[in-house]
Formats: sequence, C-alpha cells, structure tokens
Amino acid sequence: MKIFMTPFVALVLLCPSCSSKWTTHTACKDDKLELLYQSCDPLQDFGFSVDHCNNPLSENINIRFGIILRYDINELFLDINLFSMQKSILSFSYPVCEVDFPKFSFCGRRKGEKIYYAGKIDNPSFPIGKGEYHILLRLHNENNFTITCANITVISY
Amino acid sequence: MAGYISCLLLTSLLTLQYIGAISATQMCTEVTVNLTYNCESLGLEEIPESLPATTKFLEFSFNFLPDLQNSTFGRLRDLVYLDLTRCEINWVHEDAFENNEDLSTIILTGNPLIFVADTAFEGPRALKHLTLTQTGMTSVTFIPMQNLGNLETLHLGSNHLSSIQLPSTFPAHNLKVLDFEWNAIHHITKKDIISLSQASNLSLNLKGNNILDIENGAFHSTAFQNLNFGGIFDISIVLKGLQNSTTQTLWLGSFQDIKNLQISSDMLEGLCNMSVEALNLQSHHFLMSNTIFQCFTRLQELDLTQTHWNSLPSGIEGMNQLKKLVLNQNLFDNLCQISAASFPSLTHLYVKGNIHKLDFGTGCLEKLKNLLHLDLSNSKVASDICCNVQLRNLSHLQHLNLSYNEPQTLQSEAFRECPQLELLDFASTHLHTHASPSPFQNLHVLQVLNLSNCLVDTRNPQLLEGLQSLRHLDLGGNLFHSGILTKDNLLHPVDNLQVLILSSCGLTALEHQAFGNLGKLRYLDLQHNNLTGSGLDAFSDLKETYLNLAANNIRIIPSSLLPVFSQQRIIILSHNPLDCSCSNIHFLNWYKENLHKISDPEETTCGDPPALNGVKLTNVTLSCAFSTVGIFFLVLFFLMGIIFLILLIRRYIIRKYENI
Repeated sequence: MKIFMTPFVALVLLCPSCSSKWTTHTACKDDKLELLYQSCDPLQDFGFSVDHCNNPLSENINIRFGIILRYDINELFLDINLFSMQKSILSFSYPVCEVDFPKFSFCGRRKGEKIYYAGKIDNPSFPIGKGEYHILLRLHNENNFTITCANITVISY
Repeated sequence: MAGYISCLLLTSLLTLQYIGAISATQMCTEVTVNLTYNCESLGLEEIPESLPATTKFLEFSFNFLPDLQNSTFGRLRDLVYLDLTRCEINWVHEDAFENNEDLSTIILTGNPLIFVADTAFEGPRALKHLTLTQTGMTSVTFIPMQNLGNLETLHLGSNHLSSIQLPSTFPAHNLKVLDFEWNAIHHITKKDIISLSQASNLSLNLKGNNILDIENGAFHSTAFQNLNFGGIFDISIVLKGLQNSTTQTLWLGSFQDIKNLQISSDMLEGLCNMSVEALNLQSHHFLMSNTIFQCFTRLQELDLTQTHWNSLPSGIEGMNQLKKLVLNQNLFDNLCQISAASFPSLTHLYVKGNIHKLDFGTGCLEKLKNLLHLDLSNSKVASDICCNVQLRNLSHLQHLNLSYNEPQTLQSEAFRECPQLELLDFASTHLHTHASPSPFQNLHVLQVLNLSNCLVDTRNPQLLEGLQSLRHLDLGGNLFHSGILTKDNLLHPVDNLQVLILSSCGLTALEHQAFGNLGKLRYLDLQHNNLTGSGLDAFSDLKETYLNLAANNIRIIPSSLLPVFSQQRIIILSHNPLDCSCSNIHFLNWYKENLHKISDPEETTCGDPPALNGVKLTNVTLSCAFSTVGIFFLVLFFLMGIIFLILLIRRYIIRKYENI
C-alpha cells in the first residue's frame, strides 16, 4: 500500500512545480552555448532573447524582452542566483529602477502596460566553462511583488 | 486492492482541486469589510454577486469585460475607485457609470478600446482621475469631453498621440497632472500650449517623446509645476523652447539605454532666459568646460546623478542660490573634487553610490556653513581617522549618512565639529572604536543612531555615553559574545530610548533588569536571536511596549511571564517552535484570550508535538483534563466507589448468614 501511495502523494504535493504552465523557450542557441528559460511566475509567461550566444559572453550584450506588468515599477530590483551542480555559486541583487535614479527608460511604467525592451545590459565579458548551469532570476518591485521570475538553463559545450 | 484505493484517493484529490478552482473564480479578496475588494486575475466575466453593494474600492484588473454597459456596475452605487486594467475592454457604452455618483477614479490601462460613447463618463459627480494609458488612442478627441470638468489627473501615456493639443471643449481648469509619456509627439506649437492655459500649476509629462522642435515663444509667460522631457536627444531644443517661462521642476535626465547629444555650455544657454527652481540632468555626458554652469545661477536644486564627473570645475561663479546638490553615482576620487566652495548656500548634499573609492579628504566641505543634510552612503568612503577634520566647520549639520562604506576608525569626540547632529547613520560600515571608548560624546541632541551591522564592541559599556537625547537606536547584527544581555550593558547611558532594535545579535538570554533604566521604551525588536522562554526575565521592566520576538527559539512560556506579556501593547511570536502540548497550556489559553495583542497570527504556529507541527496557534484546542483539581476529584471518586463496594459486600455477607 505504502509503495503505491508514495508516488501519488509526491505527485500531488509537487504538482505546482512539476507541471509549470509555461513551456521552456530558447533565448539563444549556438554550437558552443545554449540558453533556455522558463517562466516561474504562475500568472504569466514572458519573452526573452539574446542577440549572440557567444562563449566567452561578450561585454554589454543586447537583449530583447517583452512582458505585461502586473504591478507598477517605480522601483525595480533584480535578484540573481547562480547554481552549478545544485550548489549555489553566486547570488546578488541589483537595483534597476530607484525613485531618485531611474536607470532605464522603462522605469516608472504602470501596472497593465506592455513593455518591450531591446538594448544593452551592462554586463562584463566572461567565459563560461563547459557544463550545465542554472540561474534563478527574479525581478520584484519595492513591495516585493514579483514582476518576472525565470528559471534559466545555460548549457556550454 | 491497494492500487484501486490509490486510484480512488487520487481521483478524490483531483476532484477536490477542481472544485477548489471553481469556487476560487468567485472569490474576491476582502481587504476591508464591505469597502475594499480585490478581484484581480480571476478570469471573471461580470461583477460577482457576492460583492456587497457598499463596495467603494474595487480592484478588478486582469479579468474579461469586453463591453461596459449601464448595468455592468449598476449595483455598486457607492464605488469611489475602480481599476479595470487589462480587462480586454473594447467598448465603453453610453452611461456606463451612470449609477456611480461617487466615482472619482477610473483606470482603463491596457484595454484595446474601439470606441467610448459620448456619455460614457456621465454620472459621477466629481470624476478626478482618469487613466487611459496604452489604450491604442491616436487622437485626444477619442476621449468624450462631457463631465470631465473636475478632472485633476489625466494619464494618456504609451499611445499613438502626435499632439498635446487639448480640444477647445476640454474643461481643463482643475487639471493638475497631464501625462503624455511615450507617445509620438515631435512638435510643440504655440496653439498646443494655449490649449492648456486654463490649467494652473500643471505638471506636464512628455518623457520618451522624441521632440524635434518647439515653436519660438510657445511657452512665453507660462508657468508649470513640473515639466518632464526625459530621454530627449538634444536638450537645447527644450531650453530654447522654454524661453520666458517659469517652471518649478524641469526634468531633462536621460537613461542608460538611450543615446543623447553630449552637453556643451552653449547648449545650456537657454537656461539664462527662463526661471527654473529644480533641474535634473541625470545620465548625461558633459563636455568639460569652466563655463558649463554659467546659466545655472538661479537654480535652487540641481541633480547630476550619473553624469560621469570625476571632478567639478573649480572656477564656478554665481551659484549662490543653490540649496540642494545631488552628485550620486559619479567618479570622484576625493571629496574635495566636488569643489564645494562654489556652492556656499548648500543645505543638502548627496554623494551616494560613488563608483570609485572616495577619499573623505580634509575639510573639503568647510565652506558649506549652512549644510543640514549630508549623504555619503554606499560610496566606498575611506578615511584615516574620523571625523573631525573631515567634517570641519559643519556646525549646523543635522543629518549625516555614512552607511555602507569602508571601515572607519572613530576618534574621541568624533563629531565635535557638528554638535547639532540629530540623525547619524552608520549601517553596515565597520566601526573601530579602539581610539576612544566613547566616540559619540557631545552629541547631545542626537535622536536617531543606526549602528546596525557595524561590528561594534558590545562589551564596551561607554560606547553610547553622552547620547542623552537618543530616542531611536539600531544595534541589529552586532554580536553580544556571551549571548546574554546583562544588567550592566551598554544601554545604561541612553535612558530616553523609545525604539530599540537588537535583532540578529546572537542573544540567548536577557538578564533581569537588563532594560531597567529604559522606562520610555515603546518598541523593542528582538527578531532572529536564540532566545528561549526561560531567558526573558528582563521583560518585567517593560510596559505598553511593541515587542517583536519573531524567529527565536521560544518553546514554552513560563506562566510567571504571562502577566508581563499582558501589560505590553503588541507581541509578535511568529516563527518560533512553540510547544502546543499540555505543558504549555497556560500560555495557549492566554494566547486565545489576548489575540488583540498578537501581531502576525498567521505565522504563529506550533513546533511541537510533531502531529501539530505548522498548525496555527489559533486553531489549537487542547483539553488537559487531568489538572490537580481533576486528579483530586478522581481520587475522591475512586475512594467513594471502594467504600460503596465494601458496604455492598458487607450487606451481602450479612444477608447470607442471616439465612443460616
């Protein structure tokens, strides 16, 4: 009985995460590097792509990003957690929009607006060693409401 | 058999989930009883019957209402605030809000509007705020003008409008905010501005419009509260266009993702012929020159955040009016490079988030005799020994923020130069006090001191000496090595404290009398320590306090502590492994009787016994029948039973022998 029950209970318990509504998309693909992402916001999906999938990753890469805002973004913060082999190797938080310093032109947009951003992000250039990496990325506003949440997989060949 | 049962169980679980989903679509969240409801993202196609007719504030975004009719909100006659963001509204028909007399805010952001009827907004007596952001509008004439005479804010951002001209029929006399950001406005004419002249003290937002020209004299003798031309390619177009105008705040900043023309001094010439109080030029690049600020002489506030300066020119003249200067996110190496002497009237100076390591320098700010606020946070500020030579002559300084900087060594009487300090913030800046045990002496009027995560020596009983006016002290994140807050702790000199934060201090126990001298304490934060129920002796000194004990190691609260809890104002006990067995019954009873004193009951759960792990304390009902009184009665009952039995046997034996 117990043997039969375990998978069912596990299935029911894990269901919200195992059957995430949103499909996995490809942000970019090259012979050496592949970038996949899946929205972990239960309310909505979003669109994201990277112009060139070079390895080493070039400085100030161009991205394209499209989403509907669920909340105002007078203030916006980016939290990044980088995992390799299930171990957290780097985590940091970065302010994108602040009341006294709206860094990007989309800062201050309101709930319900569609945002499309095509442009640079200020990243340094860095090489990616062979292997598979996972990035948990979350954008949230000043009230800690989720604007976007993404599970990113980076595969370097 | 087992498989059959499992399938049955799974089916029943799935069915339950399905029923749950259906009822959830009907469930709006009640924020305030009978007044405020949130029905966001529920896929609703009409206003739920369950909403009371008294609803005033309704959050209805991300639902499905393709056409708004007279009957749609007819039942909710008391509506004041209505948010219909992204409801896929195509049509707003005649008299859609006829029955909503008190309605003052309508938000229609992100709806693909096809047509709005002439009388759509008739009904409300005073419609004040209307948001039509990103509704696909191509002309302002799309908005029906009837009944907009009370309008104070009108948001028209992210549409396809090419002119800011309001129709002559638009009653703009109450308008205070007019938002045209992210449209396709390239030209501004005299006629456009005249159409806005009914409004006084208007804030006009034109951010993200690529303005190519402004007709000569278009803004002649106009007055605006706030003008925003954020992200414009060539700011000289705006400055020429604004000749002879008066503006309180002019926002001409740019953004990291937008390219602009580098600013030279001749591009700023237009500023000489207009009146502006506050100017923002964030994220621009300047062509370095001594004459760059020649037309800034009448400014009172100047924001140069991230303008890539590594030093300001030293020969700036005439900026005697400037009261507030913002130099955040620049590239200074030494504080003297801001040439403070050029701004003798400054009361507020901000050098936050400097990108290079910033040398605090020597007397760099000594000419700023009127300075009240100084913010040098997050700027990698470094100094040899702080802070008298650095803050020389700042005798009026009231607020000083040095948080998130390089480690500082404080000298004795470290703030002798600024005896008027009321607020001092050193959060997350490592402080060395080996040079003097009492660096804050002579800060007699200091009211707020933030020393969180400063790694101060908490064993030094003289650390806070001299702070007799201190009302708010944050010592969060500083370790108390023994884990015990003793009777003779460093809080002795600060007996006027009202707010004390001791979160994440590694505390395991608070000795009796530890807060004995803090008679005025009203807020005590002890979150994220390792306190247990037996280490809370010090609370008997407290009265009417807001007591935060969240995330500690409290299991059993001794009954002797309950009267002490009763005399406090609010208690937070969430995220503690509270014992929900009979050994804690006195506390559990007290908890239920004093729910009005408990904050965050949702997260106040049992940790023990395992069967009740995670259950909210409010849902626990224990019957601990065998109390002392109970045991007494039980023994009595048994004794009586035995006596009765003996009597019965005696009677039986007597009868038996009687027969013989």
